[in-house]
Amino acid sequence: MAQRDWDIGTDIGGTFTDIIALHRLTAERRIAKVPSRPAAPVRAMLEALAAVGLSEPDVRRFVHGTTRVTNALVEGRLPRTALVVTAGFEDVLEIGRYRRQELYRLDTPPKAPPLVPPELCFGLRERVGPDGAVQQPLEPAEIDRLAAWLARQGVQSVAVCLLHSYANPAHERLLAERLAGLVPHLSLSHEVNPEAREYERASSTAFNAAAMPIAVEYLSELEEKLPIGAGLQVFHSAGAMVPVPAVKRRPLVMALSGPAAGVAASARIAQRLDRPRVLTFDMGGTTTDVCLIVDGAAEMADTRMIGGRPLRQPMLAVHSIGAGGGSIVKLGPGGLSVGPESAGSEPGPACYGRGGTLPTITDANAVLGYLDPAARLGDAIQLDVAAARAVIAPIAEALGMGVEEAALGIIKVANAAMARALRRVTVERGVDGRDCSLLAFGGGGPMHAVGLAETYGLSEIIVPAASSAFSALGCLAADFSFLQQRTLRLPLDGFDAEVFAARLAELEAEATAPLLANGIAPEEIGIERVALMRYAAQSDSLPVPFTPPFSPEALTEKFHRRHKALFGYATGEACVIESLRVEARRPTEMAPPRAEAPAAPRPPRARDCIFPGHGRVATAILARGALKDPVQGPAIIEDAWSTVVLPPAWQAAPDAEGNLLLTRSDAA
Amino acid sequence: MSALDPFLVEVIRHGLSAAAEEMSLVMTRSARSPLLREAGDLSSAITDAEGGLVGQGRDIPIHLGAMAYTVKELLKRCPVETLREGDALIYNLGALGGNHLNDVKVARPVFVDGQLVAFALSLAHWPDVGGTWPGSYLAEAVDTFQEAMRIPPMPILQQGALNRPVLDFILANVRDPVACEGDLLAQIAATEAAERRIRELCAQHGTSVFIACMARLHDLSEAEMRAAIAGLPDGDYEGEDFLDDGGPGGAPARIHVRIAIRGEEAHFDLSGSADRVANFCNTTPFIARSAVAYAARILSGREMQQNAGALRPLTIVTRPGSILEPGWNAAVAAGNHETSMRIVDAVFRAMEHVIPERLSAGGPATSGLLAFAEPMADQSWRMLYEVHGGGEGARHDRDGSPATRVHLTNTSNTPTEVIEANYAIRVEQQSIRRGSGGAGKHRGGDGVVRSYRVLAESMWLTSCVERCKISPYGLKGGADGLPFRITLTRDGVVEEIPGKKNMLLRRGDLVTMESCGGGGFG
Repeated sequence: MAQRDWDIGTDIGGTFTDIIALHRLTAERRIAKVPSRPAAPVRAMLEALAAVGLSEPDVRRFVHGTTRVTNALVEGRLPRTALVVTAGFEDVLEIGRYRRQELYRLDTPPKAPPLVPPELCFGLRERVGPDGAVQQPLEPAEIDRLAAWLARQGVQSVAVCLLHSYANPAHERLLAERLAGLVPHLSLSHEVNPEAREYERASSTAFNAAAMPIAVEYLSELEEKLPIGAGLQVFHSAGAMVPVPAVKRRPLVMALSGPAAGVAASARIAQRLDRPRVLTFDMGGTTTDVCLIVDGAAEMADTRMIGGRPLRQPMLAVHSIGAGGGSIVKLGPGGLSVGPESAGSEPGPACYGRGGTLPTITDANAVLGYLDPAARLGDAIQLDVAAARAVIAPIAEALGMGVEEAALGIIKVANAAMARALRRVTVERGVDGRDCSLLAFGGGGPMHAVGLAETYGLSEIIVPAASSAFSALGCLAADFSFLQQRTLRLPLDGFDAEVFAARLAELEAEATAPLLANGIAPEEIGIERVALMRYAAQSDSLPVPFTPPFSPEALTEKFHRRHKALFGYATGEACVIESLRVEARRPTEMAPPRAEAPAAPRPPRARDCIFPGHGRVATAILARGALKDPVQGPAIIEDAWSTVVLPPAWQAAPDAEGNLLLTRSDAA
Repeated sequence: MSALDPFLVEVIRHGLSAAAEEMSLVMTRSARSPLLREAGDLSSAITDAEGGLVGQGRDIPIHLGAMAYTVKELLKRCPVETLREGDALIYNLGALGGNHLNDVKVARPVFVDGQLVAFALSLAHWPDVGGTWPGSYLAEAVDTFQEAMRIPPMPILQQGALNRPVLDFILANVRDPVACEGDLLAQIAATEAAERRIRELCAQHGTSVFIACMARLHDLSEAEMRAAIAGLPDGDYEGEDFLDDGGPGGAPARIHVRIAIRGEEAHFDLSGSADRVANFCNTTPFIARSAVAYAARILSGREMQQNAGALRPLTIVTRPGSILEPGWNAAVAAGNHETSMRIVDAVFRAMEHVIPERLSAGGPATSGLLAFAEPMADQSWRMLYEVHGGGEGARHDRDGSPATRVHLTNTSNTPTEVIEANYAIRVEQQSIRRGSGGAGKHRGGDGVVRSYRVLAESMWLTSCVERCKISPYGLKGGADGLPFRITLTRDGVVEEIPGKKNMLLRRGDLVTMESCGGGGFG
């Protein structure tokens, strides 16, 4: 008889679904990777479960992150959605903010078309002011006009974004009451993203509305196939879990759950290893994601562009750059560049032998001997090192050097691009990046980690255990939480304590409700409160955490200090609380996964690798699972899905939980 | 030099760009004026010790082009030996690689071990720099003294300490000193961030290597530009475009270019442009160069780093006494973003039969500026700068985009919810101006409509908009787009507001801006 003793984390990517299963008593860990099925996501999840030898009756908790919603949004495969806005603002999505991405090119793709086409945008006669005062009431006849229009459109979902609804949502609420039962799905901007700036709020609400029919359909199917009630959870973009019913109302929260899961797992490791500052480095085939973790918590961001459209909600500040293993290397009269063009997965790098004819970063790694020439890649194609050499040869020739030297140079430039991404996330937060540990995962992270650390001046690298199913592990390790953020614009001069207390209480109730609904006891829920503050005349706000009892003076003092630390100066100007962010959180207790049993000993292997400053060196090839003692570079440490490159003068030491710690051998 | 590691040069290129981008980040995150923080009207650059631009942010092309001269010209006035570590100079004079008085520069020499290696340069468009009219744009200005405060190079920072008398002098001459002080401190902080990064690069790679890499970056861009020009057919090409007004009796003012492509070099002669005009549409030779540099980048059809080296194969000639070299006391506020755009269009028109596939039809090549200034009870002013895009011109392979920015500018609109929360204005409408793009095989993009209801007792309005009389042109037989149209509705009567005007508004007035559509293609 199955005992429901297993906790499952799965990360459903575009190509693969990763799964990790953890036994709650024995801490036994099982990992698998199965192909994703974009057309049948629930089936893929059940197949992944079967791949670790489990089925529904074994499952206690099932947490998943997915790119399903994001992919649908990016690819434009969307349900028919309408947008209702204040009359006169029907074109808000099409106008946007005017700015173009490329300064010196005209041969660019056109601006992304609006998520909702003009004929499905409705102007509602009503008006609320910035202070929340009703300037033009919403008359019943106007709602009837809208209802009649909607009845003719045959839409599956409706987004509502009225001007200044963050200040007074009365009109949006009235619409919700009157439209109940008339439309299949309704998204209200004051619920989805109650913050000022109408374009960003409308865009986010339209995203939510368009995602809703897709999300509700597959989540309902999942609930049916995995009837484990509150144990069924979804990972969200702010790096924690949320129960299914809340996601059905706000599918937007899972839009960026994939990268967030890896970061959440990293935050857990930063806490366990007691590292105050960690930079995550997740290098894939076409993009690289980086994020800063300070004192065990990942930094938060508000807005991210998806397919050229802004999506605004509190989420982990994961910064992506368009450089990965497949990035194409070009040499022209103006110098050498890496990316942003990518060979993608088809045809892929030349060394994959699938018809790629342009040199990529992965080809440079192949030339340097870092990739296992005998390894099978995906569809059982073997690495073609000769093809990699052939595509890099023209660059080497043009520069008057050997192919190996050129390959080393290409890696150096790629690492400089990565270092720029690390710099970006650290300077935004006023942190000196060189004090950080680098946590490397993803296909290329552990391969480039040492080179990047040397470029950027980092002295420690952590390659986590289970790095292949790292995001899936993040799902499992995450806390239970829900966030709510709202524009307040409350000056601290003449502070209105009553309004502040009322708004804070509302936000706390909104953030806590989904957790209570999931059966969590109130006393288990912790509340984190952050005031987003600015000088009255500024636009960007800085997050300033606070705890009750609330003191405006203490908060002002903290803000001044934070501003000085970040920007080098502070003034005596008046301060404003722009927004409040509240997170309700129930921590998850998870035993650390047991390190994998040492693999059966294999005959020693070695091959020649090329390292900067050392040239060609005979290098030991080690199986990660067999490592017990510290290893001196040069070495290549492999597991099923990733490769750690350990150059001379570096060493790697495994810890009790299966993480590898890389440091310079000559460091004191 | 030839032994310089080509990959290290790329590493330094990334490092310099990252430093410039960090400067802009510091600015937008901590500045006060909505024009900076919402619209992003600012730019950041790093130059070598001689003032040659070598690293830049992803900012505003017209600024970045002029900034190639801003430190160079400064060094003629303030020789290197007068500069000390920890100093920063503030200035806005046209003669010093300037563009217009609103764009205030802070330049910080960066020393490493006592050696000057670079400059960090921050440019920000201040919403007001004093002068006759709030906002410092005076359409009828006869000279620059009427326009705004003129700031010669002054040490705002001396050996790391803020120079209070200089700051006080400047704040005493602007209409919103509180916001201005915050903006200026943000500019100083931005240059400080860049100084830190440059020192790190020198410490990591060696100062002499860093300097050699900067020199190589110029050479590489020069080589790329030479190769690009060599790919254009040799010949003489001529093009012209017209400002809506500014000529005698308000007639259109001509901008003319004669381009000679010879092998790897290109010669741009702008001497045939109109004489100095009697309004604020004159501009400086630096802006003429900046506009040509942008146009040359587009003509090249290539990716390259915009730096001083890319300019070497270009010669650019302006005529003393003309609208592009009017003397240092001429009024120039509008020329910065209006006349400069006419230069770009003139160059494109000269080349449109040669490389139409690299160009686009005429578009919203203007700042599209409406500035609203509200006098407050405490005698301070509240300034709202509204800058508008329109429909992009169509290209050979696609329609133009609606509601976007083109060419030398890249500023954003300000959200309605931000305007209404901060100014006595209600935005009554904000929509796409359907059908304003020109017809053709590919259509021009549509412009936008935005209307403003004045809720204050009075407001001082400035318009500074091109393409009100002369429509954005169609290319290869495509139709023109609709021109800009600005109207005032007062007591039920609708009248047109000219594209360049200062006027008073009163409570209840409705100002409506309809921005232009792009020209069609084919």
